[in-house]
Amino acid sequence: MSATLIGQSLLSGLMSGCLYALLGLGLTLTWKYLRIINLAHFALIFLAAYLTYEMSTRGWHPFLSALLLLPVFFMLGAAQQVLMSRYKVDEFASVIVTFGVTIIIESLIQYVWSADFIRVEKRLARGSLELGPWLAPWDQLIMCGFSIIACLLVWVVLKHTWHGKALRAQLDNPSIAAAFGVPNRKLSLALAGMGSAFAALGGVFIALLFTLTPSQIYSWFGVILATVLLGGLGSTFGALAAGMVIGVGESLTMALTAPAWAPIVPFTLLILILILWPERL
Amino acid sequence: MLKIDRLCVNHGLASALTGVSIEVNRNELVAVIGPNGAGKTTLVNAIARILPVHAGDIFFEGEHVTNLSPLELGARGVALIPEGRRLFTTMTVEENLDIGCYRTLARTHRAASLDHVYDMFPVLRERRKQIAGTLSGGQQQMVAIARALMSRPRLLLIDEPCLGLAPIIVSQVFEVIAMIRDSGVAILLIEQNAVKALKIAQRGYILDCGNIVAQGSPAELEAQGEIKAAYLGAH
Ligand SMILES: Nc1ncnc2c1ncn2[C@@H]1O[C@H](COP(=O)(O)OP(=O)(O)O)[C@@H](O)[C@H]1O
Ligand SMILES: [Mg+2]
Repeated sequence: MSATLIGQSLLSGLMSGCLYALLGLGLTLTWKYLRIINLAHFALIFLAAYLTYEMSTRGWHPFLSALLLLPVFFMLGAAQQVLMSRYKVDEFASVIVTFGVTIIIESLIQYVWSADFIRVEKRLARGSLELGPWLAPWDQLIMCGFSIIACLLVWVVLKHTWHGKALRAQLDNPSIAAAFGVPNRKLSLALAGMGSAFAALGGVFIALLFTLTPSQIYSWFGVILATVLLGGLGSTFGALAAGMVIGVGESLTMALTAPAWAPIVPFTLLILILILWPERL
Repeated sequence: MLKIDRLCVNHGLASALTGVSIEVNRNELVAVIGPNGAGKTTLVNAIARILPVHAGDIFFEGEHVTNLSPLELGARGVALIPEGRRLFTTMTVEENLDIGCYRTLARTHRAASLDHVYDMFPVLRERRKQIAGTLSGGQQQMVAIARALMSRPRLLLIDEPCLGLAPIIVSQVFEVIAMIRDSGVAILLIEQNAVKALKIAQRGYILDCGNIVAQGSPAELEAQGEIKAAYLGAH
């Protein structure tokens, strides 16, 4: 086992971690602040990825697609939340309802784009950054930048703005918060919208970094849920750190054993968290 | 300023208030006294619009507010210091106070209001970065009072502020409430400690089993022998 290989594994692991955090960001926020376990988040990520693909075939730059997709998905997320609160869907029921939505969106994707593998040809930047013997593909580095900035922004908003404080107050004590003027409903819709906009951003990068097929929606469940739970619900830097731990764990497992063993890492962690640390939920 | 007319409130099928009428005038501190389970918390929560009203009317400054949401009523200048304090326990002291002045108008006075409440409770200034849930009971009550004051209310609803507090803290809380009264804020004070409450109140009501059973100035209430024996003797 060479130092080059280990180093490369670490580097790819850290970059995967950034992707996991980006994909988990919306999920962890709506889970913590709205008590909704939104499995449809994964389907929205792929819907955005396919739309990015579709637009790329018409010559749209991925960033241009993102500019369109973010507000559209914001509205989608807010609309979903209107329905969720209208029918008073609780945390447990939300898993089942949003899993149903996931299946519907998957079918829709399959209907429109078929189950064949597709790939976006456009790259943000060709090639890789060379760090001595190690390589970091530019597209992945750009994704890492977006992920870290998104986590940082969310943290600042939650910690230091009036909206962020209001959200936390609403979580602690909604009726008292309302009595002091916190607009619970508006904030919930905005947060759900943001969660879904983050799904769109994640989807754009999924389209850039992976070959797409609809059933892949489900392959992300384990690793992202593990990231979100290990990182602590609602914690953006927690998600980044947890994502990196899992990413590095996976890539080292791949390097040391065989690629097929990599998924063991998030699932083992997920089971361990649920057994040893149930209050994480 | 506040006028409650034959208010009825139910918890599910059980009626908790059956036709309660009370009034609070400008610059007045009115005490509502009564035993456990009398319906006192139900009364303030209904006034604050946290509980739905079954029948009867609530008027604030001459306007019918029975159908407003807590959000809308608060905007008119009614603030609640709820039973059990109900702080935002995972947030810091100052963040709790920030929510107190969340509304646009109150927010513009944030700095002055903070100075005001920190002068009133110097210990909160020292502990402004501390998580509210980790404070002592007395300090938490100070945060609850300060949070309500941050909203610059014209009417304060205070529900059993001394519940579970040490006697020395209880006296401080009463002093603070008297100070707030003197600053011109109308107060509806719910208390089980009748003697102390009637000392700082201009008028009092006695609530039992969801009904007002007596009302009047502290002297008038004291003068009614049976009332005194049944409700005012305990402390
Ligand atoms: N959420 C509730 N559900 C059902 N009954 C309630 C509820 N809250 C209070 N009650 C009942 O209503 C009555 C009045 O309660 P409350 O207003 O809390 O009295 P107090 O504050 O005077 O002690 C009591 O009999 C109590 O058991
Ligand atoms: Mg009570």
